[in-house]
Amino acid sequence: MELDIKFMVDTFFLALAGVPATLSITGVALIISTPVAFFMAISRIYDVKIVKQAVTAYVSFIRGTPVVLQILIIYSLLPSLFNTIIKSTGWNINVFDINPIIYAYIVFSLNTCAGLSEIFRSALQTVNKGQLEAALSIGMSPVQAYTRIIIPQALVTAIPNICNLTINLIKGTSLAFMMTVKEVTSIAKIAASYGYNYIEAYLDILIIYIILCSLVQLLFALAEKHLGSYKNIRGTLVNAG
Amino acid sequence: MRPFNPLYIPEVFFELLPFLPVTVLMLAGSVFFGSLLGFILAKAKVSGRKLSRLLADTYIAMMRCTPPIVLLFIVYYGLPELLLSTTGLDVNSIAKGIFVLLTYTLLSGATMSEIMRSSYESIDKGQWEAAVSIGLSPFQAFYRIMLPQATVVALPNLCNVLINLMKDGALAFTIGLIDVMGKGTLIISKNFGAYALETYIAAALLYWGLTLIIEKSFSVIEKNLSRGKRSIAE
Repeated sequence: MELDIKFMVDTFFLALAGVPATLSITGVALIISTPVAFFMAISRIYDVKIVKQAVTAYVSFIRGTPVVLQILIIYSLLPSLFNTIIKSTGWNINVFDINPIIYAYIVFSLNTCAGLSEIFRSALQTVNKGQLEAALSIGMSPVQAYTRIIIPQALVTAIPNICNLTINLIKGTSLAFMMTVKEVTSIAKIAASYGYNYIEAYLDILIIYIILCSLVQLLFALAEKHLGSYKNIRGTLVNAG
Repeated sequence: MRPFNPLYIPEVFFELLPFLPVTVLMLAGSVFFGSLLGFILAKAKVSGRKLSRLLADTYIAMMRCTPPIVLLFIVYYGLPELLLSTTGLDVNSIAKGIFVLLTYTLLSGATMSEIMRSSYESIDKGQWEAAVSIGLSPFQAFYRIMLPQATVVALPNLCNVLINLMKDGALAFTIGLIDVMGKGTLIISKNFGAYALETYIAAALLYWGLTLIIEKSFSVIEKNLSRGKRSIAE
C-alpha cells in the first residue's frame, strides 16, 4: 500500500477548514444544554412531579439509542415539520435552504442535555447538604447559595465528566456528515471521493481529531487545576497550622 | 407532506427483530475480545516497565480521541490493502462482521483497560499482601481475592461501556453489515425512502429496549455480588 503523501498533506489543510464547524456544533450544543441540563438536574433532585418523570424518560431514551438514529430521526422529521409550520403561517421562507448545521445544533443539543443533566445531578449530590443550609442560615438567598457556594464546589467534581462528554461530543460530530454539514469528516470524505484516496483522508481525519481532543483535554486539565485551587489553599493552611 | 403513520412502527419493528441477534452477537464478541485486549493493556500499565506503560498510554489516548466511524472506515478500507501489499494476504472476501468485530475490539479494549485498572487499584493493597502471606500463589491471590472485589467496583462502568458500545455498533451499517440498523436502512430503500421516520423510530425503540435490559440485568448482578461483599465486611 502506498500512501499518497501529497494528497494527504493537501487534504489535511482542506479538512482543517471544517474545524470551525466541528467546534461550533460542540460549542453551541454545550452552551444551549448547560442551563437546560441544570434545571433538569434540579428537577430530578427536588422530585418535581411530572417534570421528573418526563426528564427521566427523556434521559433514558437519549442514553439508550444510538446517535446515528437520533440524527436520522431528527433529520427526517424536522425539515418537513418546519415546512408545514411555515407554510401554515404564510411566511415566504424555503425551509430546504436552511443551513443543515442548524439541525446538527438541534440534535447534538438534545443529546448533550441528557448527558450533562446526569453529570450535574451526580455533581450536585456530592456537595454536602450542610453547605446549603449554612449558606441559607447566614442570610443568602437560594440563588446566591447556589451560584456562590454549591455550584463552584460541584463544578470541581463535574469537570472530569464534562471533559469526557465534550470529547465524546467532538467525536460524535463526525456523524454530522449524514446531515450534509460540512465539517472535518465530510470535507475529507468528499476530497477522497475524487481519487478514491479514502485511507489518506481517514488518516487525516484521525490526526485532526487527535489534535482537537488532546487540546480539549489540556484545557480541561487547566480548568480543573484552576477551579480546584481552593482545595490546595485549604490544604496548605492545614499543613501550615 | 405524507402523513405520519404510527401503525407502520410495530409492523417494521417485527421485521427488525430477527436481526437483533446480529447486533447482540457483535456486542458480545467485541466485549469479549475487548476485555482480553483491555486486560493486556491494564497489565502493561499496572505492573509494566516504562516502555510498555508508554505504549499502553499512547494507545489508550489515541483510541479515546478517535471517532468510531473513522476507525471503522480505516479498518474496513485500510487493513485489507495493508495486508495485501505487505503479506500478499487477500482478506477482501472475509465477512464484514469480522471487520466490525475488530474495530469495536480495538475501541473497547482501551476503555476496558482503564476500567480494569481503576477498579483494580481501588482495592486495598493489603488484600493482596494478606492473600500472599497466608500462602496463596500470586495467581490465586489475583483470581480468588482481587478479581471478585474488583469486579463489583467495575460493574457500573462496565454497564456504561456495554451500552456505549452497542450504540456505537449501530454505525456498522455504514460498511454494509446487516444488523438492526442495517436492516432498517434496507427496508427504507425497499420502500423508496418512504416511512423513513417510522422505521427509525422502530429501530430506536429496539435499541432502547436492549439498553433497558442491559441496565436491569447489571443492577441485578451488582445487587447479588455486593450482597456477598457486605457480609464479608461485617
